[in-house]
Formats: sequence, C-alpha cells, structure tokens
Amino acid sequence: MTDVLTFSDSPQLAGELTSAAASIAAGAGGTVLSVELDNVREGVPRGPVLLLKSANPITGDDLRIASAVSEASKRMSSPIILIGSTKLGRMVAGRLAVAGRMCALADVRDLKLDSGMLTGVRDVYAGKFNAKVGSPLPCVALVPQGAYPSPGGSAATVEELVVPAVSSGVRRVQTKPSQTSALDLRSAKVIVAAGRGFKTKEDLALVEKLARALGGAMGASRPLSSDLGWLGEEYHIGLTGVYVRPNLYLAIGISGQLQHVAGIKDSKVIAAINKDRQAPIFQVADYGVVGDLYQVVPALLKILGAG
Amino acid sequence: MNVAVCVKHAIDEGELRADPSGRPQLQGAQAKMSTFDRNAVEEALRVRESKGGTVTVLSLGSPDWKKSLKEALAMGCDRAIALSSPSDLDALATSYYLSRALQQKGPFDLVLLSEGASDTYSGLVGPMIAGWMDAPFIGYARKVQVEGSSVGAEVSLDDKTERVDAALPCVVSVVSEINSPRYPTLLQIMQASKKPMEELSVDSLRDDRAPQVTLKVLDVAAQSVNRKKVIYEGPPEESARKLFDALRKEGVI
Repeated sequence: MTDVLTFSDSPQLAGELTSAAASIAAGAGGTVLSVELDNVREGVPRGPVLLLKSANPITGDDLRIASAVSEASKRMSSPIILIGSTKLGRMVAGRLAVAGRMCALADVRDLKLDSGMLTGVRDVYAGKFNAKVGSPLPCVALVPQGAYPSPGGSAATVEELVVPAVSSGVRRVQTKPSQTSALDLRSAKVIVAAGRGFKTKEDLALVEKLARALGGAMGASRPLSSDLGWLGEEYHIGLTGVYVRPNLYLAIGISGQLQHVAGIKDSKVIAAINKDRQAPIFQVADYGVVGDLYQVVPALLKILGAG
Repeated sequence: MNVAVCVKHAIDEGELRADPSGRPQLQGAQAKMSTFDRNAVEEALRVRESKGGTVTVLSLGSPDWKKSLKEALAMGCDRAIALSSPSDLDALATSYYLSRALQQKGPFDLVLLSEGASDTYSGLVGPMIAGWMDAPFIGYARKVQVEGSSVGAEVSLDDKTERVDAALPCVVSVVSEINSPRYPTLLQIMQASKKPMEELSVDSLRDDRAPQVTLKVLDVAAQSVNRKKVIYEGPPEESARKLFDALRKEGVI
C-alpha cells in the first residue's frame, strides 16, 4: 500500500496533484490525501482532504508548511509527497527533503511507481533534453502545472490534524498580490507575448490590444521585465519565469533564446512575428511572419476588427 | 559581514548537442558558471561594498569547476573553497556538504545563491542548505538590504510580491533581475590566481547526518521539436491575413 500526500499553494495545481497522486496510488492500492492549510479552500481540493491546523497560521511560510506537511506524512505514514512546482513549492520541497532525509525529484511528469521506486520525466538543459529520474521511497516530488488533468468534484471528506506550531524565521512585512498572477498566465488559452523588437514601452499597447482582441493574456520575454523594466516580473515567460501551455502562443519581436523557448514549448500552436528571418524563434514556430511588427500587428488588428 | 556565495559550474546548455542516439554529448561539452549564479556573486560583492567584510565563494565539484571559482575571484570575491567529490551528488547531498563547509569555514552572516542552476533549474539547494543549517530562507529576492543584524528583501513569488526580513545568519536566493553582474578586467583576472583557493574533499566533511545519494538518472534524451515551420514573407497585410487564416484553421482563435 502506497499512500500519497499532496500539497500546492496554487489552487489549480492542487487539483492537478490529486490526478497525479491517483495515477500513482491506483496501481499500488494506496490512498490519496490532499493537504489544506488553516482552512479548506473553496472548490479546490478533489477527494479526501487532510486539513492541517496549528496555533499559528501555516499558509505562506515555507518553514511552517514544511513542518506541518512533514508531521502529517509521519502520522499518515505516506511514503510519497507531491508538491506543486511553484516558487513557494520549491522551498517547501527542499525543506521537506532535509527534514525527512529523502530524495527530492524536481519538475517531474509521467510519474510511475516501478519496483519500489518513484520515477518521472523532467526537462533538463533548458528543455533541450528530457531526463528520466527515479528515487526510492520515501521521497518528495515537485510536479509542474499542466502535467496532469484537473479533476472534477470537490472535497469528499475532511479529516483534521493539529500540528505543532513552528516559529517562522522570516517576517512578512508587506504582501502585495501581483497585477497579473503568473498562475493566470499559466492557464491562459491565448498568449500574445512581446520581446525586444518593441522600441518603446508605450508600443506595448499594440500587444495589449491584440491580446484583448484574441481574448488572451499578455506576456513578455525576459529583457522586458528585467533589463528594460517595462513590465513586472509576473509577465516574464521562460526558464526563470512562467512556464505556459496555451492553445496559441504568439511571439512578437521575440528572438527565441533557449531560456525563453523552454517556457513555451508545450504550447499547442506557436506563431511568431519577427523581422529577422534568421531568428531562432522561427525554428520552434508553426507559423512565422517575417516582417516589421509595426506593420504586421496593426494589419492583424484590422482583420480582427480592432484596428 | 562575512558573506558566502555558492556557485555551480554547469554544462553550457546553449552549446550542448545530442549525439546520433539522441543522448547529450557531455564528453568535452563546454561548461561555465551557471548563468544566474553571476547575479548572486554580484550581490555578494555589493553587500561587502556597502557593509565591509569578506566574500567567500564555494562550489562543489564537477570537472573543471575551479574555473567558475576563479571567475568569481576575478569578479572580486576574496577567497574560494573548492569542494571535491569522487562521485556525482544529488541536491540533498550537495546541499549537505555545502552546509558543512559553510559551518566549518564560517561563520557566515549571509549565504547567497541564485534561484536555480541553468542546467537543471530545480531551485532546491538553497532551501535545503537553510534546512541543514536550521536557518531562515528567503527565496527569489529581487532586492536585498542588510541592516545591522538582519536582512531585508523584496521577493517575487508566483502570485504576489512580499517585503520580508529575517535575522542573520540567513540563506537568500536571488533572481537574475536583481542586478547586472560586473565583468572582471584583465588585471583582475590575472590577480585572481593569487587569491586563496582551498580544496576540501567531501569525505572530510561527513558527519552522522550525511545523506545517501539516492537520486537515479535513468536516461537523458533529446526532446523532439515537431513544429510546422510555415513562413510567410511579403507585404505585411498579406502575411497578416495568411497568419490569421492559418490560426483560424487550427481552431486556436
């Protein structure tokens, strides 16, 4: 019997993790428990829930979450812990691995239980290669968003467990929700993304307009959110930013550096507009327009009746 | 202020090629300091410049890893510690030996590293070092400020930004947006070879908490890119129309 415990601070991922866990536990006659902290989030958990409570709020702090989940896995003797691959999730997984002296698998999909070993496949070398990795049990695995379907249903049963209060070493002075949540970008069906090909910040209005006309979200390559500072980091798509998998990814004025492509390669259709015929983005695009974005984008807007 | 910064000498993913069987050609592959680690080194130097003290750079062995340490010394670090390991380690073991070296060669007030390595981008070693050292961890900082005996930071997470602070000693991972790393001058590169570099074997650092290396890499294979690569060239209006029609046909708009 192999029981699986799951947790993610992302509501979307929390649902997907139950699918991931079920695919592992089904063959091994195990059970799946979704961990919720402090209170059960509305409509998020699918199936049986383990609600962890403590004298202090647990949510939002890597150390408190890791201590709570670690305690829960001990009490439930679950040899597998799946954590959603968010930034906070990575911190929690790292802490959990040390606390339990167990291996951590990062960003694994296609999880399987194979003769006592949890195996999975992950991107390495900025998505140029896949690595199949495995770990004996117990272990903790980070699962990226979009690797598993989001199941229907709601919290079936809720079991409560009180865990010891842990004092966090980090004081949160101020918390501000991002304008565009990376989590929204991850679930967008259409993404129009801007790159260095734009001459001024004001010109990004073109991208915003096009994204709106297509009912999609706006994203950007790294230079726009870091070197140029035109947009917040939450717009940054790529290896160190958000991984996306929309139906349509339209890259405008983006050259297509490896680190950017790593974040978009699971898109269903990739289209690109770039004036440089040699831009690497055309090597990974289904449709490419070689041309001046300042002419092609307005033409597209006109066709869409938004010009 | 004694600052430590941990760097990884990583395969240059941009240059890495697949052999005819689709496996990465690691033999003779180019390696360099992991892209984002240069931002961590830069930040360590900036902390020293404003608060005084020393910067020690650490790296745990892979072939030729001293090259990255030398680069960090050329950038301005004061001394380097090269941890050598007879075999490949996973994140848990790597973080354990780094934390042991930090404890033995410290004390350090601040331990900096990047948000993740450019080859694997797992982002696990930072929180793991904090775990072994029982220290607070601040992840994904885009601004770092040391004030007296504490460190303040602005961090960006997936759906929010936070202003946080923690008492020193503390482990902090920084994002690449935090700064623009400096390039060493020729003189600095030459002087770097005179700076102290100490080599330590991981065997000498082991205590009874030492973890086994349990991660197994079962296979590594090239990802296939199956894209249509249809290109439209010509008048913008025509190309825009063709693109629009194609996307309609795909059913994605």
